[in-house]
Amino acid sequence: MNAQTPIRPEAPAPVGLLAELTHRCPLRCPYCSNPLELDRRSGELDTATWQRVLTEAAGLGVLHVHLSGGEPTARNDIVEITKTCADLGLYSNLITSGVGGALDKLQALYDAGLDHVQLSVQGVDAQNAEKIGGLKNAQPQKMVFAAKVVELGLPLTLNSVIHRGNIHEVEGFIDLAVKLGAKRLEVAHTQYYGWAYVNRAALMPNKAQVDESIRIVEAARERLKGQLVIDLVVPDYYAKYPKACAGGWGRKLMNVTPQGKVLPCHAAETIPNLEFWHVTEHSLGEIWRDSPAFTAYRGTDWMQEPCRSCDRREKDWGGCRCQALALAGDATATDPACSLSTLHAKVRALAVEEAAETPPDYVYRTIGSNIRSPLKEGTPS
Amino acid sequence: MNAIFPTPDAAGSERLLTPDELEAALRDIGAKRYHILHPFHRLLHDGKLSKDQVRAWALNRYYYQAMIPIKDAAVLARMHDAELRRVWRQRIVDHDGDAPGDGGIERWLKLAEGVGFGRDYVLSTRGILSATKFAVEAYVHFVSERTLLEAIASSLTEMFSPTIISERVAGMLKNYDFITKDTLAYFDKRLTQAPRDADFALDYVKTHATTPELQRRAMDALTFKCNVLWVQLDALYFAYVAPGMVPPDAWQPGVGLVAEAATQAAGPRKTVPGDIPRLPRGVRLRHDETRGKTVLLAPERTFDLDDNAVAVLKLVDGVRTVSGIADELAKVYAADPRAIEADICAMLDGLADKRVLER
Repeated sequence: MNAQTPIRPEAPAPVGLLAELTHRCPLRCPYCSNPLELDRRSGELDTATWQRVLTEAAGLGVLHVHLSGGEPTARNDIVEITKTCADLGLYSNLITSGVGGALDKLQALYDAGLDHVQLSVQGVDAQNAEKIGGLKNAQPQKMVFAAKVVELGLPLTLNSVIHRGNIHEVEGFIDLAVKLGAKRLEVAHTQYYGWAYVNRAALMPNKAQVDESIRIVEAARERLKGQLVIDLVVPDYYAKYPKACAGGWGRKLMNVTPQGKVLPCHAAETIPNLEFWHVTEHSLGEIWRDSPAFTAYRGTDWMQEPCRSCDRREKDWGGCRCQALALAGDATATDPACSLSTLHAKVRALAVEEAAETPPDYVYRTIGSNIRSPLKEGTPS
Repeated sequence: MNAIFPTPDAAGSERLLTPDELEAALRDIGAKRYHILHPFHRLLHDGKLSKDQVRAWALNRYYYQAMIPIKDAAVLARMHDAELRRVWRQRIVDHDGDAPGDGGIERWLKLAEGVGFGRDYVLSTRGILSATKFAVEAYVHFVSERTLLEAIASSLTEMFSPTIISERVAGMLKNYDFITKDTLAYFDKRLTQAPRDADFALDYVKTHATTPELQRRAMDALTFKCNVLWVQLDALYFAYVAPGMVPPDAWQPGVGLVAEAATQAAGPRKTVPGDIPRLPRGVRLRHDETRGKTVLLAPERTFDLDDNAVAVLKLVDGVRTVSGIADELAKVYAADPRAIEADICAMLDGLADKRVLER
């Protein structure tokens, strides 16, 4: 190795690509992982560019493509894009709300070679679900859509984002998944970035509710072994150790936004001064290997204590950078979700406090809103 | 040639057999041709069938059960002797019962329900293999068209049924956790009914087969009946064991089950050698050129596989049974296929529990 060359950790081949095809969505969930400033339709990548990106992704070693959004079926070329995945041998996963044009396109998506459907369900009780999703009559559409997925023989995963507005329905989500014939259920406690960060006080459950939800899931896993696989994502604020966000920064996943910006995770834009590259200006391989955003926190060299000398540093890779910034004001800090962080007690106290108060109204996700992340304003850039 | 005829085909003798010799010859037909010898029954009794394969058997066999009173009514209609009819009509009572909820057909429906079927689906006879229907209907035609002696002789498979029933009940209770004593109540009754019926029919045949020609016809009739039973199992084996060619209109796993059974169909049961594993839509074996290995792609996850798992999964094609896969691998690795079989079952169980493999 040449002494003048800065030593950068080697980039492992990526395994997954989250294709945020559009930010348009009929739902307005207050915990949406999309950024507060949503891309407009006019700026979206065209079909040919997406196809090139997918081809480059396959060449880099990507195996799974998550066709997401927004609502990915809002794009007229969703079938074409799915077909491209199939032609390239990429495993295509449609992450959908099941409303809008989703049902009409399902048969064509099946014929194009779609591998898997992940359907979001906001609640079990229709009224509650529609309040959370901010769209009337969404629930019956979702049920019809789920039935059609199963009827076609496509594997179905239900994704339920859990928060204080539906945490009493965890058992119900499990029953619903069984009833609909889903093979997988994601019981995913809200992660507090993007819109969820804005709505945190309205969403944060208390510790007893979280513990009960975990108990219910563990009992159901045992009871439904071989019938329903349940993946559980526990809420960070109550956890002992943080998650390896996106499997480690720049290690497994990348996220392409509707306009073609490539991010190491979907919230990465909340970190100021990170330079993101676009697929319209660089190849995906260059971006993955060399773009400043990807190299910034790849590996362990950037870490501070206690991460730097921690045994777990290559397990959780320091947790989530965006959360470190949001809660500690420093993207290179230990994720305060970690019990080894000096801020952990404070973060947990914050959660306990918010969960104890009457929840404020939701701030619904909207394109063109003037909502600014409180943390972005408060953070020196 | 001695008096024991191995099969009627070999019964070249024109000599009139004594009644006891005739009985011995008839029993010999059963010893060689009764469906207890069929590979499907061996799998059934040894616990080597999957739940769906047991279901296929229960469903198809219902058609046979349901037609038995019709067959016996056809026999009855040909009897001019009231004494004979009084005896024979008991068979219809046994099967139909004296009241709703009673009788052998009802008990068979209970068995079908016990393995998960909805009653209406079974009653509809949709999904029953055409081969089953052809065979059963051939039996009804046979007793209507042939002589009364032949019709009665064709029922003599009952002589052999107590053995098969005891084997079946013991084997199924021991080997299938979804089979209970209640489910198998049908067979309890048959253990006493069949010998009674068979004794009568055997006496009739021994008394009335008074010429070498009539004796040959009686033996032919019993052979025919053995074949009616045998081909039903051939059809089941062909459709649901190997090569697994289910005709377009026949029952498919998952169909006609009550909701609870349908959702439990893929429950945490163990893989058995007779299972036909397959990768469902959304699960794909793929060579990963970038990393130089073969992986299993599944909903939102990738399974890293060792060489053994890759070798097995390459043979999982929805046609081969676990035994078949073990046999092929045994050739390659010069190992005992039955030992490999156990390892394959364990590996497939792991994948089935994660819902990425069906069988």
